[in-house]
Amino acid sequence: MNHLLEIKDLNVIFHIFGADVQAVRGISLQLNKGETLAIVGESGSGKSVTSKAVMGLIPNPPGEIATGEILFEGRDLVKYSKKQMQKVRGKEISMIFQDPMTALNPTMKIGKQIMEGLIKHQSLSKHDAKKRAIELLQLVGIPNPEKRVDEYPHQFSGGMRQRVVIAIALACNPKILIADEPTTALDVTIQAQILDLMRDLQEKTGTAIILITHDLGVVANLAQRVAVMYGGKIVETGTLDEIFYNPKHPYTWGLLSSMPKLHAKTDKLLAIPGTPPDLSNPPKGCPFAPRCPHAMKVCTEHMPAYTELSATQKAACWLLDERAPKVDPPTTIGVGGES
Amino acid sequence: MTAKSNAEVTKELFVPAYLSDTESEKISGKSVSAWKDALRRFLTNKGAMLSMIILTVIILLALIGPHIFGYDIDNQDVSRANLPPKIEGLTWLPAFSGYENGVDIYKEKNISKNYWFGTDQFGRDLWTRTWKGTQISLIIALIATLADVLIGVVYGGVSGYFGGAVDNALQRILEVIAGIPSLVWIILLILIMQPGLITITIAILATSWLSMARIVRGEMLKLKNQEFVLASRTLGAGDGRIIFKHLIPNSLGMIIINTMFSVPNAIFFEAFLSFIGLGIRQPQASLGSLINDGYQMLQIHPYQTLYPGIIISLLLICFNIMGDGLRDAFDPKLRR
Amino acid sequence: MIRYILKRVGYMIVTFYVVITLTFLAMKMLPGTPFKFANRLSPEQLNQLKHYYGLDQPIPIQYLHYLWNFIHGNLGGSFQYGMQPVTEFLFQRFPISLQLGFESMIFGTVLGIFLGIVSGIYRGRFLDWGTVTLAVVFISIPSFIFAAILQYFFSVQIRIFPVIGWSGPMTHVLPVVSIGVGVMATIARFMRTEMVEVLNQDYIVTAQAKGLSTNAVIFRHAIRNAMIPIVTVIGPLTSAVVTGSLVIENIFAIPGIGSQFVDAIVTNDYPMIMGTTELYAGLFIVTILIVDVLYGVIDPRIRVSGGKSI
Ligand SMILES: Nc1ncnc2c1ncn2[C@@H]1O[C@H](COP(=O)(O)OP(=O)(O)OP(=O)(O)O)[C@@H](O)[C@H]1O
Ligand code: SF4
Ligand SMILES: [Mg+2]
Repeated sequence: MNHLLEIKDLNVIFHIFGADVQAVRGISLQLNKGETLAIVGESGSGKSVTSKAVMGLIPNPPGEIATGEILFEGRDLVKYSKKQMQKVRGKEISMIFQDPMTALNPTMKIGKQIMEGLIKHQSLSKHDAKKRAIELLQLVGIPNPEKRVDEYPHQFSGGMRQRVVIAIALACNPKILIADEPTTALDVTIQAQILDLMRDLQEKTGTAIILITHDLGVVANLAQRVAVMYGGKIVETGTLDEIFYNPKHPYTWGLLSSMPKLHAKTDKLLAIPGTPPDLSNPPKGCPFAPRCPHAMKVCTEHMPAYTELSATQKAACWLLDERAPKVDPPTTIGVGGES
Repeated sequence: MTAKSNAEVTKELFVPAYLSDTESEKISGKSVSAWKDALRRFLTNKGAMLSMIILTVIILLALIGPHIFGYDIDNQDVSRANLPPKIEGLTWLPAFSGYENGVDIYKEKNISKNYWFGTDQFGRDLWTRTWKGTQISLIIALIATLADVLIGVVYGGVSGYFGGAVDNALQRILEVIAGIPSLVWIILLILIMQPGLITITIAILATSWLSMARIVRGEMLKLKNQEFVLASRTLGAGDGRIIFKHLIPNSLGMIIINTMFSVPNAIFFEAFLSFIGLGIRQPQASLGSLINDGYQMLQIHPYQTLYPGIIISLLLICFNIMGDGLRDAFDPKLRR
Repeated sequence: MIRYILKRVGYMIVTFYVVITLTFLAMKMLPGTPFKFANRLSPEQLNQLKHYYGLDQPIPIQYLHYLWNFIHGNLGGSFQYGMQPVTEFLFQRFPISLQLGFESMIFGTVLGIFLGIVSGIYRGRFLDWGTVTLAVVFISIPSFIFAAILQYFFSVQIRIFPVIGWSGPMTHVLPVVSIGVGVMATIARFMRTEMVEVLNQDYIVTAQAKGLSTNAVIFRHAIRNAMIPIVTVIGPLTSAVVTGSLVIENIFAIPGIGSQFVDAIVTNDYPMIMGTTELYAGLFIVTILIVDVLYGVIDPRIRVSGGKSI
């Protein structure tokens, strides 16, 4: 049980308009040193909320962590005070965001935005922090960093800004980097560059990465393990190979078959008919039941429990019960051969 | 799998369940139309609802108030001048006791009738005059707003819809007009015309449509290239039809919100002009001119300013709160 | 940026020219003026008047005449005060109004920004609710009613502040507060909205994710960004402050151009009305220009891109 990060039975609730939105419902995950874990799932499945919970950044009100533990090196971050959490953020765990166009303060110089964390966590002097900022810009591949530290975000292109965001996140050599859809807002060629950069940096620094994405192509590129989320729950988790070659959950099947081709990167791949469940009033059975082509009566009535399929793979689906009819994964799953 | 759930899960449940389309839709939540949603939000806004009630009461009183005692707006009688407010049954309230500085003025002047808001220096019944004045304020607000909506919507609509050179020209004109403070416009107009109800209305009109024109133009620019408009155009709809059938109905939210804000503006300007002596002339009264009259007496008979002052403040506050409420209702981004 | 400023200055000149022309036309359209009040003037004054307006000439010539006079700072003479030059009055009284305006503006802006920030940070709590409610009330109540209330309680009842006048610091309090609360309320509301909006921005989350303290996030990242757009309300506020000063100067007998203007209107002192109108318009136009340029200077997004984004 020596995980770098272990989430146990996490529940996050947002109280809005008298309704309680159960954005995350009993998630458990582990992350080991230096590995990359991908969390995939369609919009609204609770991926970002999970990562914000780890960062201690659930806006409160309206949100709160109702129950659960987030163990970082054995210590429960949920119990941390605001002050203690500030020492973790940016230093031990940091985060990069989806939209580089809005993730940087438009009226503060790039250099200063990188330096802030350094000054706070490593007590560097202004001068040293600036030197380090220039190094970091160099590291993330920004040409002419001495000059560019003194520029403002709007003088940078989208890809360049995402590099800056990565530089900010890596400034204090964190042990965990959470990347929430780091390439979604970028165009295809830039996406590839940013992914390459992240892989490079991970090799150099040994940082563990939680990669959140819609894009299974990105997952295949970067991750060793995958967790598939649906309706605020993890419906299946396993190693990259297990999820891609031996998926057991119908939602994972749906995800994989809606992926046109492994390396064709497109946003619009989640073409599973229907809409995700209303998390303010979640169904009492399997959240995927209304859209599941294999749904059985039991699915709408009872929540399926996890079935351990191997030491590393488990899935929550009634099809895995011995009483269930045998169903084969669709042949449309477009993974075969490649990769 | 816990033992408990296992007990309930029987073999018969493992049969395919086909959910119909309607059912799957029901599960994924019903869609409330934007208008209904806005209305619901507005109706649950306590401040806006309270304002609406207060406004209704004021409007009703403005309609019936002047007829209660049968006085005219200019019924002068010096024998009953400067009487403080007195309401039978409320005399235990200092404000309605008929006493001033510890003296029962009604007894002193031997007057048996009650004047609910008191009388002014000519002995005119202030209750009657105040509600008459409220009528004036409301009428001006109404006319100014109606015309404001018409001019502003048409100007902005034409500018935004046709775009190009038309838009450019209209925008330059608008920029110049807006470059001059509305007070200056209003005073220039009032100098040319004789002070009075119509002049004030025109003067307020001359400037208040500007913001409406801007907003409607912005909406037009935003809407005119959206799919449903393009679709309608492909089907051969003319400009007029597109503007009135599609664009204006879709900008209605913004138009209503902006109207709600131009009403208090019109009321304020009328009061302001009447207060500095450019508005309604004697013996006519508006809330502004009543406050002005009363203001001369502020140190001796503060009640003469008090009631018109309270009513105009309530009018302005309530309209503004309702405007805020509508804006929040239509623009959920700003709610909470 | 330079090109942008030049363009704005161009608009400004056009607008001002329109104002001058309009005042001229208004003058021409006045019923029976300026001789409507001829009985109040001596024969030489009448002659002077005739000469000033070139009344014996056709209207286009009169117009050029008027422009010529205007460019040379000659706004004519006041009817009320025996044809003394209007400019003299304006020069004498404008500084007082300017001071009143500035003091009100500063009072309102400082308090408003503070309230707006607090309200935005504590959004949804009682403090926020109180500020928002207070702001609506202060925006709604006309300054002259507010002034009457203040005067009645603080000057007539408890006699802390003088009823009227403009001599020592004590005399400034009530007029400045009367005009300033409206400014305060407007700015507080605006600042609150901006603050709420900025606090919802992604870069605030980035700042929090760096591990900065709440104070650092608010002071270094939120407030600065929220405050920049405040500059844009200064234009409309100037206009509101001018409107307010008209009545407030009258109520408190402050010898500024506002009270002079109201006097002029009531006594039909047309040259004075025209001159003051032009001064107000000029003031407003220049304010808008300054605000525009200032906005470009303090917001690096506009500054660097050369004002393209406007
Ligand atoms: N600040 C918030 N206030 C209220 N509800 C929230 C908030 N943040 C998230 N939620 C709710 O939590 C649920 C999960 O949102 P989350 O952002 O985690 O989805 P996601 O999986 O990251 O989706 P996406 O792929 O679109 O980023 C959503 O239904 C959303 O309504
Ligand atoms: S539990 Fe039932 S509804 Fe859910 S995924 Fe499995 S088969 Fe489909
Ligand atoms: Mg997300």
